[in-house]
Amino acid sequence: MMKEVKLSTALKEEDIRDLRIGDVVYINGIICTSRDMGHLKMIDVTEKKEKLPIDFQGGVIFHAGPVVKKQGEKYEVIVIGPTTSIRMEPYSDFIGGLGVKAIIGKGGMEEGTSEALKKYGMVYLQAPPGCAVVLGEKVEQIENVFWLELGVPEALWVLKVENFGPLVVGMDSEGNSIYRDIRIKGKKLIEKMF
Amino acid sequence: MFWTREKLYEEIYNLIVDCCLSISPDAKDLLQQSLKKETNETAKSMLQTILDDVEMAKKLNKPVCQSPGFGTVYVSFGKNANLEEIKDIKEIYAQAIIKATKNGYLRPSMVHPLTRKNPGDNSGIGVPNFEFNFIPEQEYVEHILSFKGCGAELGNAMKIMTTAMLGKNYVGFKKFVIETALAAGGKPCPPYAIGIGIGGQMDIACKLARQAVSIRDWRDSNPDPLMKELEIELCDKINSLKIGAAGTGGNTSCLAVKIETVSTHTAILPVAISFHCWVARRGGLRLYPDGKKEILFRGN
Repeated sequence: MMKEVKLSTALKEEDIRDLRIGDVVYINGIICTSRDMGHLKMIDVTEKKEKLPIDFQGGVIFHAGPVVKKQGEKYEVIVIGPTTSIRMEPYSDFIGGLGVKAIIGKGGMEEGTSEALKKYGMVYLQAPPGCAVVLGEKVEQIENVFWLELGVPEALWVLKVENFGPLVVGMDSEGNSIYRDIRIKGKKLIEKMF
Repeated sequence: MFWTREKLYEEIYNLIVDCCLSISPDAKDLLQQSLKKETNETAKSMLQTILDDVEMAKKLNKPVCQSPGFGTVYVSFGKNANLEEIKDIKEIYAQAIIKATKNGYLRPSMVHPLTRKNPGDNSGIGVPNFEFNFIPEQEYVEHILSFKGCGAELGNAMKIMTTAMLGKNYVGFKKFVIETALAAGGKPCPPYAIGIGIGGQMDIACKLARQAVSIRDWRDSNPDPLMKELEIELCDKINSLKIGAAGTGGNTSCLAVKIETVSTHTAILPVAISFHCWVARRGGLRLYPDGKKEILFRGN
């Protein structure tokens, strides 16, 4: 049965391993944005044996880049929604190793990620695509920003969120994937179409 | 001359901002229809969130989606057009986009294609892109601005097919489109619309695909009976894959299929497929020489 779950960061592995595809999740606490350049930078920093700007143990990575406005010295989120996750497919094992427990994005990911989710006890959460106002309203404030030299979309934005969702478990730590299921069924349907 | 540079700048800036704050009425209408028909609980919740997002954007004066996509402006004019009203429009759009970015309506997302450097204000070579068309008898200058999301671009495909690949009843073509939609899954932010360009050469088919989904009303009916039939069949077959809103299952992933064709060489069959996310940020202006103005794809 599908369940609705509220989770607070830092996420605990046992809570994540309890989630199954189709479950709906809302997150309270801290989430951190990262996309193509942000992941490359994280790998670069790690390879140089330097310290990452934040601790990812029990952390959440949100594939996203916000629209922000600078008010005095502080940035404010205007809106923020998910970006297409498949671009970050090569980095799932790496972020699993950092202790990340949930990835939020859109469109799903592939088999490499599915393996990493099993190995580290992580979950992939599908955000409502394009819904940047709804999700932006759930960001209480920007806690911090790093690597702004990569540009606004690619920087690491550390966000304090409340009731962040609805997020649907698209891929779970048992190796299940809604996206894979749809693709397999779809292939069979196409074979019968003509 | 009625349409001075100042007047054009004001109209264009307002058009850009309005495109960020709302989606075109055809897309909204189709989203509402798909919510009514939806039976999958997850998809219902996704569709309701999408429609809530559209309403909240309007209420809070915020951009519907964080990503501005990539802008193309389709400009057409007739033989009596005053070129003084057209000559500066590339510059006007580029400047107005920079201003809209500074004002928090567009995220600075344009980067150098290789160095990936971001100037921080959506400036850059070829931003926005322009497609000019000369329609001799047209009495007005028409601009259609379309900010097309780039997650959707990740699902796109282009193939130079052949007569042999086309097969009986165009099965090869249909399979190419449907398989492309299945492979794209939830990446193009479903429910999406699909533009298909057929014919010409590679460049022509690709431009037609983008144009079909950008300047046509997603609810229109193709005047060519064969294309009309194909548009309906492909849309239905893609939806039968049950990819659903957000790509997590459901009845509607495809709101519309729009096909444009031109002739091609007997040796080739170029087919280009271009996805457009549900965030239909587009709007148009028809500017008449006497100062009359019509607004297209707006009014939500």
